[in-house]
Amino acid sequence: MKRPALLLFMALGLLVSCREKPAEVTITETRPLTTKDTTPKLDATSDQRFRDAKPSPVQGETPVGWLKLPATQMRLLNYRFGESGLGEVWVSVSSGSVLDNVNRWFGQFDVEKLDAAGLAKLRRVPMAGMDGVWVEAEGDYAGGMGAPARTGYGLAGVVAIDPHGRILTVKMVGPKAEVAATKSVLEAFARDLRFTE
Amino acid sequence: MISMNQDSATPTPPARSLPGRVFDFFSGFGLATTLLLLLGVLTWLATLEQVDRGLYDTLNKYFDWKAWYLFPEIDGRTFYFPLPGGYWVCALLLLNLALGGVGRARKGWKHAGVLISHFGILIMLVSGGVTQHFSERGHLAVGEGETSDTAEDYFEHVVEVAEIKGGKPTAIHEIRGEWLIDLQGDKRRLFRLPNFPFDLELTRYLPNAMPVAATERAPEANEPVVDGYFLMSRPGEKNAEANTAACYARLKNRDGSTPGPFILAGASFQPFTVRQDGRVFTVDLKKRLWPMPFKVRLEKFTAEFHPGTNRPKSFVSEITRIEDGKEARSIISMNAPMRYEGLTFFQASYGPPGATAGQKLYSVFEVVKNPGDQWPKYSLYIVSFGLGLHFLLKLIFFFSARSRYEHRA
Repeated sequence: MKRPALLLFMALGLLVSCREKPAEVTITETRPLTTKDTTPKLDATSDQRFRDAKPSPVQGETPVGWLKLPATQMRLLNYRFGESGLGEVWVSVSSGSVLDNVNRWFGQFDVEKLDAAGLAKLRRVPMAGMDGVWVEAEGDYAGGMGAPARTGYGLAGVVAIDPHGRILTVKMVGPKAEVAATKSVLEAFARDLRFTE
Repeated sequence: MISMNQDSATPTPPARSLPGRVFDFFSGFGLATTLLLLLGVLTWLATLEQVDRGLYDTLNKYFDWKAWYLFPEIDGRTFYFPLPGGYWVCALLLLNLALGGVGRARKGWKHAGVLISHFGILIMLVSGGVTQHFSERGHLAVGEGETSDTAEDYFEHVVEVAEIKGGKPTAIHEIRGEWLIDLQGDKRRLFRLPNFPFDLELTRYLPNAMPVAATERAPEANEPVVDGYFLMSRPGEKNAEANTAACYARLKNRDGSTPGPFILAGASFQPFTVRQDGRVFTVDLKKRLWPMPFKVRLEKFTAEFHPGTNRPKSFVSEITRIEDGKEARSIISMNAPMRYEGLTFFQASYGPPGATAGQKLYSVFEVVKNPGDQWPKYSLYIVSFGLGLHFLLKLIFFFSARSRYEHRA
């Protein structure tokens, strides 16, 4: 009595599983324009398509030993350095003032924040023809959003105001020995940056 | 004709024909009991499994029509004991109930209630099938003071090819998800686009993947690297709506040339641009957009929570429906959806997450198109009426039998 039911079940299964889709399909199905169809950004590069990267207002030569990475939404120029593979350098356009950004960086290393007088005492370095402040720190780095702090890290970087009033930053973080060994390269990299707009 | 057994002299019923035996099997009470038990077990196992696997995947595994059988997986352990798919258990139950519960059941006034109840359960089972095959679901998000006429499918990714004229997409051609999902590995499919100067070949479709820069991470499974990126497959998200599909694509021009491949990804921010003979086209992979037959403008959204908790007490959206220049106001709240033109708008959520007082809010509606939308409700009414009638008739027959007995006594 159970055999007919089983046969019926198997025949239906075979019928469905044997249906192969064609290798070519002609597409004529269209949909109307909707309120969600905004003007698309044309000719976007892969970096812009997959990372929403914005064109960088500055360009630089990649120093020997650094690895250039694709730009991201927050990192206009993006590099890796050092033997550990953990060292990072990136160029960003930021909001706020020079002091705000310096103190934000210090906050990531749990270093006491500066006031205007403290900021004035920082070493001045050239960056893309501008006058920037040189920032250094060491300690536990808690820069990732929600990521655990990384111990034994170092920070070096430059913060400056560009001709359009934007804050331009070059930031290097990584194991402190690697940062210490690469500081001079970073300073030269920041100095040689050039505006493209 | 009844034959007599020579030894015992008891009558032996004539042998049933094959169709008769098949009918007996499919209409039998034993099959009904087995199927109902199986449904209970499947529902219990699916409830346990969805904790790890996620609701959408579990529903597909246990109750999709393509799932003929399944192996349950609890706490990461697979039990190699095959169980039939829930869809087919329900389909057999439908057949069983139609043949046995209605066709073969005893008729007459005494049994009218039971018959009506069985009929109600049949409607419930049919509505499940209608929902499985014909329903569509998506979500529509609209900000206060803004208007939208489009829902976005929760799960289906499509490839859209459009020509850009005056900065706007036109002739938006849509390659539906059913043509993409089987393009795993090296399997490829050519999509002829008669209205465009090229055709499109798609391959290596991944249901959840991210474009990753090869300079940041080396491909682990010989994935092709295109313009510095490759597609890294990721396990399906527990919340399947968060999956972002991706695939590799290549144009086939009418002159026979084939430019280099490119990546299409649901996680991309911009479409791929094609320029040919002064014309501009875009190719993009995204969740399917579902145009509504009317526009919805969100006038006001209010959210209330139970004191001191994040548990929603009430979300209310005051909307204006705009159709052919005519406007109609409507209110959609958590348990009061708007039903109009075969579509149901449920209040699903709101945003932005963690919004503070005074911040501009948007409301999210779940939009469902289901021809069997109200059938479960109707079936419950019918089942309740049938059972009520059955119990009432039983009571009447009981009292009438007792009065006859007392009268005789």
